[in-house]
Parts: sequence; C-alpha cells; structure tokens
Amino acid sequence: MMLDFRISRRGVLAGSAVLLASTALPRIAEAQEPKKGGRLIVAADSEPRNLNPAIVASNGVFFISSKVVEPLAEASFDGKDGLAPRLATSWEGSADGLSVTFKLREGVTWHDGKPFTSADVAFSALQIWKPLQNLGRVVFKDLEAVDTPDEHTAVFKFSKPTPFQLIRNALPPLTAVVPKHLYETGDIAENPANNAPVGTGPFKFAEHKAGEYYRLEKNASYWGKDLPHLDEIVYRVLPDRAAAAGALEAEEIHLAAFSAVPLADLERISKVPGISVISKGYEALTYQLVVEINHRRKELADLKVRQAIAHAIDKEFVVKTVFLGYATPSTGIVPVNDKQFYTTDVPQYAFDVAKANALLDEAGYPRADNGTRFALKLLPAPYFNETKQFGSYLRQALAEIGIDAELVNNDAAAHQKAVYTDHAFDLAVGPPVFRGDPAISTTILVQSGIPDGVPFSNQGGYRNDELDGIIAKAAETLDPDARIALYRDFQEKVAEDLPLINVAEWGFITVARDTVKNVSNNPRWAVSNWADTWVEA
Amino acid sequence: MTIIHRFLKTPEGLAGALLLAAFVLVALAAPFFFPRDPLSIAGPALLRPFQDWSLPLGTDRLGRDVLAGIFHGARTSLAVSLAAAAASIAVGAIVGTLAGFGGGWTDEVLMRITDAFQTVPGFLLALAFVSVVGPSLGVVVAAIALSAWTGPARIARAEVLSIRERDYVASARVAGMHPLEIAFREVLPNALPPVLALASVIVAQAILVEAALSFLGLGDPNRVTWGGMIAEGRTVLRSAPFLSIVPGIALVLTVLGVYLAGEGAVETAAKRRSLA
Amino acid sequence: MNRALRLIRRRLIGAIPVLLIVIVGTFLLLETAPGDAVDAYIVSTGGDAGLIEALRQRWGLDQSPMTRLATYLWSLSHLDLGHSVTFSRPILDVILERLPNTLLLMGSATALSFGLGSALGIVAGAKPGSFRDRFLSIGSLALYAVPGFWLGLVLTVLFSVQLRWFPISGIETIASGKTGLGRALDIGRHLVLPVAALGFIYLALYLRMMRTGMAEAWRQDFVLAAKARGISLRRIVIRHVARNALLPLVTMLGLQSAQMLGGSVVIETVFSVPGLGRLAQEAVASRDTPLLLGIILVSAVLVIAINLIVDILYAFLDPRVGASEATA
Repeated sequence: MMLDFRISRRGVLAGSAVLLASTALPRIAEAQEPKKGGRLIVAADSEPRNLNPAIVASNGVFFISSKVVEPLAEASFDGKDGLAPRLATSWEGSADGLSVTFKLREGVTWHDGKPFTSADVAFSALQIWKPLQNLGRVVFKDLEAVDTPDEHTAVFKFSKPTPFQLIRNALPPLTAVVPKHLYETGDIAENPANNAPVGTGPFKFAEHKAGEYYRLEKNASYWGKDLPHLDEIVYRVLPDRAAAAGALEAEEIHLAAFSAVPLADLERISKVPGISVISKGYEALTYQLVVEINHRRKELADLKVRQAIAHAIDKEFVVKTVFLGYATPSTGIVPVNDKQFYTTDVPQYAFDVAKANALLDEAGYPRADNGTRFALKLLPAPYFNETKQFGSYLRQALAEIGIDAELVNNDAAAHQKAVYTDHAFDLAVGPPVFRGDPAISTTILVQSGIPDGVPFSNQGGYRNDELDGIIAKAAETLDPDARIALYRDFQEKVAEDLPLINVAEWGFITVARDTVKNVSNNPRWAVSNWADTWVEA
Repeated sequence: MTIIHRFLKTPEGLAGALLLAAFVLVALAAPFFFPRDPLSIAGPALLRPFQDWSLPLGTDRLGRDVLAGIFHGARTSLAVSLAAAAASIAVGAIVGTLAGFGGGWTDEVLMRITDAFQTVPGFLLALAFVSVVGPSLGVVVAAIALSAWTGPARIARAEVLSIRERDYVASARVAGMHPLEIAFREVLPNALPPVLALASVIVAQAILVEAALSFLGLGDPNRVTWGGMIAEGRTVLRSAPFLSIVPGIALVLTVLGVYLAGEGAVETAAKRRSLA
Repeated sequence: MNRALRLIRRRLIGAIPVLLIVIVGTFLLLETAPGDAVDAYIVSTGGDAGLIEALRQRWGLDQSPMTRLATYLWSLSHLDLGHSVTFSRPILDVILERLPNTLLLMGSATALSFGLGSALGIVAGAKPGSFRDRFLSIGSLALYAVPGFWLGLVLTVLFSVQLRWFPISGIETIASGKTGLGRALDIGRHLVLPVAALGFIYLALYLRMMRTGMAEAWRQDFVLAAKARGISLRRIVIRHVARNALLPLVTMLGLQSAQMLGGSVVIETVFSVPGLGRLAQEAVASRDTPLLLGIILVSAVLVIAINLIVDILYAFLDPRVGASEATA
C-alpha cells in the first residue's frame, strides 16, 4: 500500500513494529480466537443529521450507519474486482449494457424481523438512490426499472447503455438498501428511520443522545455466521479535534478513525504503549487536495497563469509538512493508488519558482513596484485542518511569484455558498473524494453545465468542449478497456489545460488501542460493517 | 507629573506600567526586527525553542517563526483591543449621552436596546456575529465592541443625568444652544472621565475575547494573533507544548499588565481624592 | 412580600420589549449570513440543484425573511419555539436537554468563584495592604487574566491525561446505565475540571470586590465603635465588616450571569460538555435560525430571571434599599 510505503520510508514511527502489526492484523486474528461480546467505543467528530446512507452517501454518515444498513457489496482487498458480497451474492451485466442482474442473499431479515427481498432493492434503487441520493442521481440516472422475477433476484434495467464497470465500482458507496415496508408510506425525506436507521446489518441502531453519543447494539439474528463479535458500538461525540488523542490515552475510547487524532500528534502517540497508528483501510476513500480555480477571473483564464501557479506549489513540501508524510503528491486528477484508470502519462509541473515567474511575465502580468503582479481571494475549505493549513502555505507560495492572495476563512455553510453558489472566489482549496471510478464524483469537477450550488463540482466557470466530449463518450462506453483508454485521455487533457490543480492525495489514519482486533482489514474499513471486529478483554 | 509619580509608586501601577510598556514596545518594534511577513515559512517545521539562534523560540507546524509571531501578534492584539475599546466607548458614550440628555422616549428606547444587549451573553453574540459575517480584523473588532458598549453607555447616562442639571448646562440652554450641541459639547466631555476609567477593563476583555474567537477558529487568517497561535498549537499540545504555552504566557502577561495598570490608576485616584 | 411581587410584575412587563429586540436583532443577524440551513446541510451530503430547491421549499426557506419572522413571532406568542431542521425535533426539547448541563456548570462555577472568592476576599481585606492582601489580590488578578480555554487545556493535560484523576471530557460516562447517587457522583467527577476552569477565572471579581468593600467598611463609624468597645478582631471582621461588604457582591452575581453564560461556551467546547453554548455553536454552523433564536431567547430569559432573583434577594438582605432602586 502506498501509504504504508511512505511511513516505513520515513521510519519515524516507533512505528515499524506498529505498522507490521497492523498490516498483519487480519492474519494474526485468524490465529487468535475472537472474543465474544464487549463494547467498542470510538470517537465521532460530527453528528450527521440524516443517518440514511441510501439518501446521503457520505463518509460521515457511513461511519455510523454502515454497521446498520448494508450495501449490495463491500470493497475488499482480495475479492474479485475488489469486491466482497454483502446483500447481493452475485452480479452480472448484460452485453448491451442495458441490464444488470443481482442475485440476493437468502435468509436475511430486517432488524424488525421482516424478511429482506428483491422488492426492498427495487424500492431503494428507484425511489431513493436514483431520485434522492447525492451520488446515485448521476450513476443511476438512466435506471428505468428494476424487475423482480423472484424474491432473491433483482434485474436493473437501463434506458441507455450503462457501463457495468461503473455500476460495479459504485456498489460499495451507492447501494445501501433500506426496508420498503418502512419507507413506502409518507415522505421519504421525513421518515423517522432516517434518524434511527433500520437495516440488515450486524448492529441495530439503539439510541442517539445528541451532543454525547450514538449507541449500536448487536443484531443477534445477523445473517453472517457467528457474527458480529461485539455486543455494542458506542460513538462518542468529540467535536474538538484535539480531544480524541487524550481520550485514547486515558482509555476513554478505543479507536479514532478519519484522522481524528491530528497528524502532528501521531508520532508521539505511536510511542504510547498499547496504542497503534494504522494507515491502512482507507484505500477506497482517497481524498484529493485540489486548488479550485475561478476561470471567470481574467488572469486565471490564462493557461500560463495557471501553469505558473502549478509550478509555484512545492508538492513535496506540502506532503512533508502539511501532511507529515501521510499523503502522496498528485500527478493528476486520478489518484496514484487507483488500480484501474490511473496513468502517469500526463504533463507534470515541477516546483520551479523561476519558471513560474517567467510564465507570469510572459503572460503580461509584470510585478508592480511593491513586488506584486495582482491580488486575489483564496478560500480554503474549512472541513479539514490540512485544507486550511495548505491554504496558509499556498498564500506564501503565491507571494513568492508576486501574487498577493488574501485568505478568507469561512465556516462550512458560508464556504459552500461563496464557492459553489455565488462563485465569489478566485482560488479555493477543496477536498473532493475519488470513489473508485472517475464517473462517480471526479468528472463532475471539470465538466461544464453543472447547475449552481452543487458542491465539489465545476463551479469555476470552466468550459472545454473536448473534455466534455470525452466525459460524455466514456459515460456510454461499455467495453472496460475502451473506457479506461478514454479516462486516460481525460487525465491527460486535464493536466494539460489545468481546469484545477491537483496537489496531493491522502487517506486517513486510524489510531486504535491494541486491544481492538480486525482493524483496517478492507479498503473502506472505517465505513464498513465491523461484523468481525472484536475487543480483547 | 506628581500623578504619574504617585501612580508608579503603587506596586500595581509600577508592575502594570512595566508590562504594558514591554507590550507596546514589542508591538511597535515588530516590523523592525521582523520585516518579513510573520506568516511566511522561515525554517524547518516544529523546531524546538533555543535550538537555532536565528529562530530562538522555534517554529510552528508550517515552519513559521514563533518569535516573529509573538511580536506581530502583539501588534494585532494592540490594534484590536484599542480599536474595540475606542469603538465601544464611542458608541456607549454617544448612546448614553443621547439617552440621558434626551430623556423620555429616546431614553426608554435606547435603554431597552442596551438592556437587550446586556441580556444576551456577550461572547455568544460575538461568536454568532463573527461566524455569520466572516472573520476579519474589522469584524472581530466590531464583534467585541458589540458586546462591550453597554457598560460605557450606562455610566455615561448616569453621569449625564447628574450633570444635566448643573449651572453651566442651564446657562448653555439659556444661551439658546441646540440641545444636541449642549449634549455633545457641554455634557459629554464632563461625563467622559468615569467612562474612560472603564477602558482598561474593556481593553483587557477585548484581548481575551479576540483570543477566544481565534481559538474557536474565528480569527483573521491573514494576521498572526496569539489566540490563533494557541489554537494551532493545540493540535500538537502534547508533542510541542511550547507552541501553545509561549503565546499563552504573552497573553496572560499583557492582560495582567492592563489590569494592574487600571488598578494602579484607580488607587492613585482614590488617594488623590482622600488627600483632597 | 408585596413589594417583591410588584417587582416581579414590573420586571416581567419590562422584559417583553427587551426580548423582542433580542429576537428581531438575532433574526436579522442570521439573515445577513452568507449561506442558509440548506447550504450547511448540502456541505455534508452533496446534492444537485433539484435537491437544494426541494429542501429550501420543505424547510420554508423560500419565503421572504419578513414572512418567516412573522411566522416565528406568531408561533412564539403561543409559546412554541418551533422545529429544528438540524435535529428534526422540537426546539424546546433540544434546548431543555442541554440546559441542565449548562446550568450545572454555571451554577457550580458561580458557587465556586463566589464562595472561594468572598472567603479569600475576607482574608485579604482583614488586613488591607498586608503581604497576604497583595498576594491574594494580584494572584487572583493573574488568574483573571488567563483565557478560559487555555486554563482548560492545561488542566486537562495535567489532571486527565497525565494524572488520570478526572475524566477528560463529557458530562457523564457515556451509556453507563448509572442511576441515582452513582450517576450524580459520576457527573460530579466530570464537572470538576470544567467548573474549576470557569470558576477560578471569575474568582478575582468577588475577591477584589469583597476586599474593596471591607477596606471601606473599616473606615466606617460602627466599625470604629466596635473597635473602641474592644470586640475581638475576628468578630469585627465577620460580624460587621464582611457582612456589609457582601451586599454589592450579590449584585455582582446577577451582573456576571450573562458573562458566565458566555464563558461557558468556550469551556463547553474544550471539555466536550453538551450544553447550551455548544448547541449555539452548532446552530450557527448549521444556520439553524430558529434554534439559535431559541437558545438566545432562553439565555436572555435566564439572565433576566437571575437578575430578578438577585434583586429580590438584595431587597431582603438590605431593607434600607427599596426594591425599586436595586440595580438591574
């Protein structure tokens, strides 16, 4: 794994032992007899309002609800096509790209005792994923009908050819199945089950005490044999980012995922006996550090200026200082750790201040007497420490090439409004997520014609007909290899024209007490069901 | 001269004056000692204090010079607290004078507004205001003033009420001066001294409120502030405690200096009165 | 008693315009905010224009601000605080769930700063100008100069992480199933550090006020008379001097309540206490206007109520002062 490589190369973590232990964990666990029962307490930094993963496909929601509501398939390190079956046991696409057939697991019951059937899948797909889900709206836009020939078969019918590869890649994040019998009456968005989800997963939703905790209880009639191991999972709400590390050390919590322990504190905490720092388990949740550009601004519409900015950013420094090594410099819009689509064959912009300055001179923006060429507004997204810190760095990097950037710190709502609705920015720093297929949430970053207000999309007024053409073509290309070829072309064009600048990519870090076993054993571990996780007495 | 002398003779006054003098010197000297942008990256990240003499207090997470941050942070604190105190005293004095001199409905309306502001916890108001308008130095100053003007307003009003009936005001009235002119030319200047006595408290509170706002991530990102430095240092509180302790000490000493100086002033005034 | 009732009635009537100003002011403030509840929601979920439109409609945000303000005031006149879109629950329920935590924190911190502050103030004021006096008053002033969040951080690192004497954060052990005395003790243990962080800071106010009050009392005739009669110093201090100096402190108690409430916002954040202050931050972050209005309204009512109680108390403690002159 790329992250493991980085860390071991740095060799700072007392870590190497820790790291070995963590990578070897699944195997050790097989040898060790899992202990039944017990309570796992984990840190949660936010309290999502809507816990229905079928409507809100986001990691904050999955972190809690993935234990309760299951998707058709989960990501896996060694499964075929990187998948492991969950509610579906097999999936097959037709040659014409117009249908996909799912065989569903038998003998599964909802937490309220009702049987799980193909009707639930059909309902979830047509009534929720396609019309209501943030990501499903794109991927399932051509889904016309779901046939249910029997209780355990669901056949998805598309009005236009839809690549099976895309559907397959979308299974883990997009296909959480919710019970039809609870959702068919009334307004889906107002359903009480959105706050107290009912699913088929290894844990039942027990209670939420706002500001304090969520509690999940073991589902005794789970379909997985002898699973789950734990009796309870408690999510302790710790909105203060600095609180998780102390709580781990004081043994008040067992585990903090999603880098709840600040990166800068990892080196120290890795030396605390009984605590491990684990970088595995986020391979399918790659976050990208991106400089979003407002192309409506005259200077930024000039390719030379964008190239100059790209040359002004020292990606190695960003990785080393902002991310303390827990990240990889980006080469383009598809992350390095993607196994299907990634290509290195794209133009690169090495850190070169002299060249950047030359490009700006060439572009016709000479330095004024005070040394600045022009001023602009820089809006770092407030969601992560790292996006804010990179904002501070970028301001300094731009100062070196004579661009005076004024930082504007907004809270989440104001940032959303300023960047994605009002376009009141020149440069912004954003953390989009790569979800295993460029068509899920990546092409939208550069595609034109996206309505105002959609977060993590092209709101910079960028328009490139050639790129739009490639994106449209790939969306209906069925042959996986042809599709991959198109997306390689896409990556190259993006790197050439720089509608945005990719700086780095990172997965998160889990910090856990050593008593927690079977941690990080799949590429979406933090947002998977934790059925096989257990706590040593 | 004798007043200053007497002021410095009180232990509080002396200590306060020394601390404040140091604070102001540091703030004024910042651009001379550290002409570069204090937010620029000056060296390796997380350098401990006393390792490298070109960076005596070490560096923060991004490699910014902590000592430069302390110097320039003093400037920000000084600017914010003076501006906030000036703004809240100005607003308070005007509102108080209008209320006290206007009387009747003007008084009623203005005092109910003052009540409303005093009823809402000041910090809550400042927090809501800054998160809504967006953090910048001006907004932070406005937020602090928003929660601090009521004290001066009340005192100004009380003073005006007692001055209003005095001879010189009556004679101004007889001379046919416009009521507003009387209020601001005759009454306000005489009502001002007790209002100004509040200044030290407001300045100290302003420094603390600015720090707390920065701590909650609501500081101006283009400026160094001590509160912001503490907030950033907090993520590494355990591995690099100096990053939160150094600006914390600077903050405490400054605020203490302001309080002590205020205390000394009060004591001097009291002695003077008792002598008189 | 009659006087107290009259005072209460007058205060309640006077409170109405004040609360109205508070509500309209807060409403307008949030109206000028960039981004609304839908923007705040969309950040965490993502979604396209259709969803955004639908949400605005469902949450009534497509109506004009004046219509919404009128609707809010109308339901408020029926004592209905409205519905929180953030929590999908009635706002009153959400607030009542958090209020006890804040009251407990504030109350204990006030008791600490008032009790310890006035006691130390007596010690300091018993011998004005002595070393003890200087030490206490300057020491407490130094505490007063410490930012609350910083003191909180230092206390956590020292007593929770290093010494492990007290829990690091929260109001009680989560999902512990404790009841009765066990639960009370548990909450008490969790409150020690936040109460200390909040209470020690305001200690100085009471200490110094007590001390000043005593210094003045020393000069008064009845104290001189008592001295002349040869009554012991201890007795003079407690019976005559301290008692007289205590009165202004009671007024201070009321005046400080708003500030204490504000101070608890930061302390609640540092210690992850689910109280009103943290709720207010969440409400601002999610642009939940009715929720923030509810919180500000409740805290304003709280401040008014505390001041009223203080005034009544004052009227009883000091019969010389008619209730009408008691400060607000």
